[in-house]
Amino acid sequence: MAKAAKAGKAPKHAAPREAGGGAGGGAGGGVRSVVWLSGLACGVLAAIAPGVAIVAAGLLAPGFLALKLDRDPGRPVARTVLTCGLAGCVHPVIALWNTGQSFDAAMSIVTDPGTLGVAWSAAAAGWLLTQLAPLLVRAALEAGALGRATRLRAARGRLAEAWGIDHATREPGQGG
Amino acid sequence: MSDRPQPDGAPPDPRAPDPRAIVAGQYTVDPSRRLPDAGGGLPAYAATSRRGILTPLMAIAVNRNAPARPKTLITGTGGIDGLACAVGHGTGPPIDGRDAWYVICEAPSGPPLSHGLHPWPEPMVIELVLRPIAAVLEHLHERGWTHRAIRPNNVFHSQPNRPVTLGAAWAAPPAMHQPAVFETAYTAICHPAARGDGRIADDVYALGVLLASLALGRVPLEGLDDRTILHRKLEFGDFMAITGGDRLPPMLNDLVRGMLAEDPDHRPTPALLRDPAGARGRRVAARPPARAQRPFKLGATTIWNNRTLAMAMALDPEEALTAIQNGQLMYWLRRALGDSGLAVKLEDLVRQSAQDLVTDRELANAGLVMRAIADSDVWMPLCWRGLAMFPDGLGPALVAATAPGEPGGGGPSPGDLYGKLFEIVQTEAQGVWAAMHEERTPSAPQRLEARQRRAILQIRGPAGGLPRLTYTLNPLIPCASPLLGDRWITNVADLATALDATVTASPDAEILEPHIAAFIGARSDRVLDQEVKALASEADPLDRALGALRLLAELQSRYHANALKGLTAWVVARSPSLVARWQNRERRNEVEEKLKTLAALGFLPPIRDLLEDHAGHEADSEGLHAALADLARLDAELHDIADGGRRRGVLAARLGQEIAAGIGLAAIATTLLLAAMG
Repeated sequence: MAKAAKAGKAPKHAAPREAGGGAGGGAGGGVRSVVWLSGLACGVLAAIAPGVAIVAAGLLAPGFLALKLDRDPGRPVARTVLTCGLAGCVHPVIALWNTGQSFDAAMSIVTDPGTLGVAWSAAAAGWLLTQLAPLLVRAALEAGALGRATRLRAARGRLAEAWGIDHATREPGQGG
Repeated sequence: MSDRPQPDGAPPDPRAPDPRAIVAGQYTVDPSRRLPDAGGGLPAYAATSRRGILTPLMAIAVNRNAPARPKTLITGTGGIDGLACAVGHGTGPPIDGRDAWYVICEAPSGPPLSHGLHPWPEPMVIELVLRPIAAVLEHLHERGWTHRAIRPNNVFHSQPNRPVTLGAAWAAPPAMHQPAVFETAYTAICHPAARGDGRIADDVYALGVLLASLALGRVPLEGLDDRTILHRKLEFGDFMAITGGDRLPPMLNDLVRGMLAEDPDHRPTPALLRDPAGARGRRVAARPPARAQRPFKLGATTIWNNRTLAMAMALDPEEALTAIQNGQLMYWLRRALGDSGLAVKLEDLVRQSAQDLVTDRELANAGLVMRAIADSDVWMPLCWRGLAMFPDGLGPALVAATAPGEPGGGGPSPGDLYGKLFEIVQTEAQGVWAAMHEERTPSAPQRLEARQRRAILQIRGPAGGLPRLTYTLNPLIPCASPLLGDRWITNVADLATALDATVTASPDAEILEPHIAAFIGARSDRVLDQEVKALASEADPLDRALGALRLLAELQSRYHANALKGLTAWVVARSPSLVARWQNRERRNEVEEKLKTLAALGFLPPIRDLLEDHAGHEADSEGLHAALADLARLDAELHDIADGGRRRGVLAARLGQEIAAGIGLAAIATTLLLAAMG
């Protein structure tokens, strides 16, 4: 009996677990693959060009932090912070390249407050952009909707007056 | 009507007679010259022909509540010597400020016989009275008419040795003004207005009484009340009651005896009376009614035979019903009168009445007494709850019932004349009564007529009912609407003008009241009648208003070619609800403006066309539906905008992130480009 009960219970829980595991496993597997591939790329980069890796790690730290914190699908904030941070890394990396890509040069670049400030400011600007852009778009969309509603109400009023329809009782969205 | 306007631009000729004094376009009536004895008891005035006819004429004023005889007036009574023939009729000069309607007749050339009535020698009676009047009656009989007004004050004698002339009998219902002595008991018991046209034998009877009066030099039974006269005629027989035991000259005695026979079929015909010797020789022996061994007391009447029984039941129907229902009458019929056949008939009637559970008890009892009376004496008129009448007298009786003095003027109610007439028509008592005389006269025409009258009564709304029946049966009576006051309106063409004047004086008057609607329905053609009937079937006030407009417009287009500004203003004042049927405000304003213009012109048909514009209303309705659909679409869009805040927020977030990402990529691209450019 107990065996039968266990046997009966097992598929009951197995299905969601399989389904969730399947889906989650697929997504998690993909994310894990990206993480593993990113880690592998970083390892390869650190092995081949340790100076560049140090500069990138120092200057792109806000981007990596955003990547860690952003849980939204597609990680839109992290994406913008990283791209803006990358824009701030272009000159330091070129400078490192020109100085022979030594570890010391990389350390001096990473520890240079100006360079670090520019890169992190670029990342901060990216973050700020992700916060402001939706607000501005929302304001534009609301303004458009308001204008259209005004035009529709005017047309409705004209129609109601021409045909003697009691629009006060019929018009939607009044007071709400 | 009476107020006929002068043609525009023509100044009135001071020598021309007042247009209102002209009757039927050719007879001038002088209401200041009354002819006191010429009308046979009705008011008569001097009249002259405007076409140069020298025959002296008189105009007899017709009472509103005693209609003239339409059959004879419409077909014309001219061409009979010795008779005051009717030559015209119509509205004429007002009397005491009230519109009046006249029948124009040849005026009598001498005083009536009632003036200084004295005994006439027998040869004079026969040559100067019997022969000429018999000749007149023969002419009337050939045309299917009766006179029904042969009495001393309506027979005129101009000169000694000249034949008498018979006065007019067309300006009142048949026999309405006949004293009871000049009528048989069966017609004398009837309501004066409901005695009906009768038959020529009734004229022969009246002539017989007239001959007896002339022979005796006095009117028989003078000074007695009608009930006593009836009782004497029934108790002693007509001849004995009239002569009162006095001896008449031998020839007259035989003639009068025959002329006063109880059975009309036993009376000599007018043609036979022209040969008095032949008429005298024609003796028909009528069996006198059986006399009971002991009398029967019914109410205040002591009954000895069938005739007095029928008369007593007619005069006292409640006592009769009690006597029938408790069986006392049948017992008396078997034991005292020996008429067990009648007793069985009455018992059958009681049994049928008891089995009739459908009919109202009061009506069933009235029907029972009516049939009992008809069974008792076959010559009795239709007797209904104390009212006696002949069916062809229903029309004038309805008019009399609405007279101001009658309690039924406000409508039918049980007990009054109007109510009794209503019941007679409603129960088709005429058909039942006629069926009881089947062996003497075919009842099918009477039953058909009863059904037709009831059908008119049952028409719903103002197009039917007693007013409609009254106007249908009396084609010459004026419209009795209180709105018309003293105006005498007898046709629909005049009614349009009168209504126009009425609403001009009283704009708030509701002119399509039952009398006017019934009058229009009865006096107009089929199309207008349909419009009147439609008034009853329109339950919606808007449809009713439109129906009234249609009716008035048809009235004007068919009967009145001139402008009726009062009526158009009246209609326009009641049209806001009809204008409001237009939903489109712009179109509605246009209609209102157009209505004002049309009201000023005074023609109703364009107003009807404007307000009843089916195509326009259809387009308006379609436009309204389209507008409602547009409104629904706009509402949906507004709802969508009102409810779309969240959706716009999601869209804004997505777009904002994409834009930010794009700017980030642009920043990289820019720095790379700058780096590449050195």
